[in-house]
Amino acid sequence: MSTRALILRAAALILLVAFVTMPQLFAFAFAPLTANNAPAIYNQGSLLALTLSHVRIVVLATLASTLLALALGIFVTRPAGREFLPLSRSLVNIGQTFPPIAVLAIAVPLVGFGEKPTFIALFLYGLLPIFENTLAGLTEVSPRTLEAARGMGMNARQRLWQVELPLALPLILAGIRLSVIISLGTATIGSTVAAKGLGEVIIAGLQSNNVAFILQGGLVVALLAVLLHDGLGLIERAAARRLGRPVDEIA
Amino acid sequence: MIEIEHLSKRYGDNIVVDDVSFTVGEGEIAVVVGTSGAGKSTLLRMINRLVTPNEGRVLIDGQDTATIPEDELRHRIGYVIQGYGLFPHRTVAENIATVPRLLGWDRRRIAARVEELLDLFQLDPGEFAQKFPHQLSGGQQQRVGVARALAAKPALLLMDEPFGSLDPVIRGKAQDDLLAIQRRLGTTIVLVTHDMNEAFHLGDRIAVMDGARLLQYATPADLLTHPAEPFVEQLVGTAERPFRLLSLVTVQDAMEPGHAEGEPIIVSATLRDALAQLIWHGRQDLPVADASGTLIGRISVDGILKRGRSLA
Repeated sequence: MSTRALILRAAALILLVAFVTMPQLFAFAFAPLTANNAPAIYNQGSLLALTLSHVRIVVLATLASTLLALALGIFVTRPAGREFLPLSRSLVNIGQTFPPIAVLAIAVPLVGFGEKPTFIALFLYGLLPIFENTLAGLTEVSPRTLEAARGMGMNARQRLWQVELPLALPLILAGIRLSVIISLGTATIGSTVAAKGLGEVIIAGLQSNNVAFILQGGLVVALLAVLLHDGLGLIERAAARRLGRPVDEIA
Repeated sequence: MIEIEHLSKRYGDNIVVDDVSFTVGEGEIAVVVGTSGAGKSTLLRMINRLVTPNEGRVLIDGQDTATIPEDELRHRIGYVIQGYGLFPHRTVAENIATVPRLLGWDRRRIAARVEELLDLFQLDPGEFAQKFPHQLSGGQQQRVGVARALAAKPALLLMDEPFGSLDPVIRGKAQDDLLAIQRRLGTTIVLVTHDMNEAFHLGDRIAVMDGARLLQYATPADLLTHPAEPFVEQLVGTAERPFRLLSLVTVQDAMEPGHAEGEPIIVSATLRDALAQLIWHGRQDLPVADASGTLIGRISVDGILKRGRSLA
């Protein structure tokens, strides 16, 4: 990692932390964007609390997606589950093609307002990348490696845990990263159904025609996305390097 | 000792291995040779039950392998495949430790065994133990593959085209190394190849397969002088026959007393190599030296030719 990249990362992190903890320090920058003496900085709640609950729901939803997608991916690549592959593929695809806003519309009458419908939408939306990458990772393990593992007397569970999953890890991590980034953006619409999150800031800006608010919400989400993308990418590359793959292979 | 009795494998109507029987003695190398699709690999994989036979059985030291749980059986049989199938996410040391770890050996015993094997295969533990497979050359990967198969001291080693992905220059060296290690450890080996030269170089006995059937199982010399079927003769190569025979006999057997001028030939060299030397240097005879370099006799073109004729 070059020094410049390191400095840029540190700067982005410092900017994010400073902005969500002490937003008033940045009022001067946003003031020109307001009209009619409207507040330059979001004043209907703590930015820090909103950011934390935004991240919290993304992490929880991604964790749940990861658990299900991983389990499903492993199941359909075992001899017993192979015939369920087409079915699980289409189910997971439906989760992705259904617009999250429509999921919210359906989920609210069922589970009520708040975090629950948002969680459901993010969970469904995050399944596909992790599932597809788990599948790709597990099916790409070289047949020779597996043959050698069987020939040395590894049973099915040992092959899965000691050979297949470690080898599929970089791709699975890439899937999780994709899912996290998609969820970070998508979680903003959760605020339309009263989930605590950075969407609130953006919606408040839209309602009061305050560009400064919209920009603040967007900025925090964008900084989060960049930093998480980057951090998860580092872990992936470390995992891939261990396997001797060129770093670029994991896009 | 391993006894293969009437092994057959069918996939639908397709017979891949048809009633094959042979016995490999303790510490012997049996080479299964044949064209591709002859059923060689399937036969090998039935020995460690990666493929379940339709008929027949395999006995190892008198014990029917069908009575041993599959994984336990495979822990006891070394297995080397073409391309080696090293685990790319594990270091050389971890790769070699695979079976001992599955067997639950303690850490210190595993470490000692890994170091012993790296030494045996001329891989400096300090340099190679922590490397990953992708950091090794083809020849080094091959050695790690064999070391891994030998880690838990199996009495039997199965090898499926173990030299197939090596270039010709290092292949010969790898074969010699395998022979040396096999002679030292006394491991019984069943090796599959399509390379006739490899079969004659390594095999104590050679099993010739074609179209799922075992055509002949015999010593290399027998195979040359008494081929059971025209196909065996063809595979061995009629024109090659005398030279192959010469390659089975060492200088020791055709040495004559007396002196000769020129570069000495080592007594353990094959007659084929000796003849090549004589032709190349344009000489009728050359001195013979033992391992320490002392001259102990001479070898002549006439002597070799006489010996060659008496073999056929």
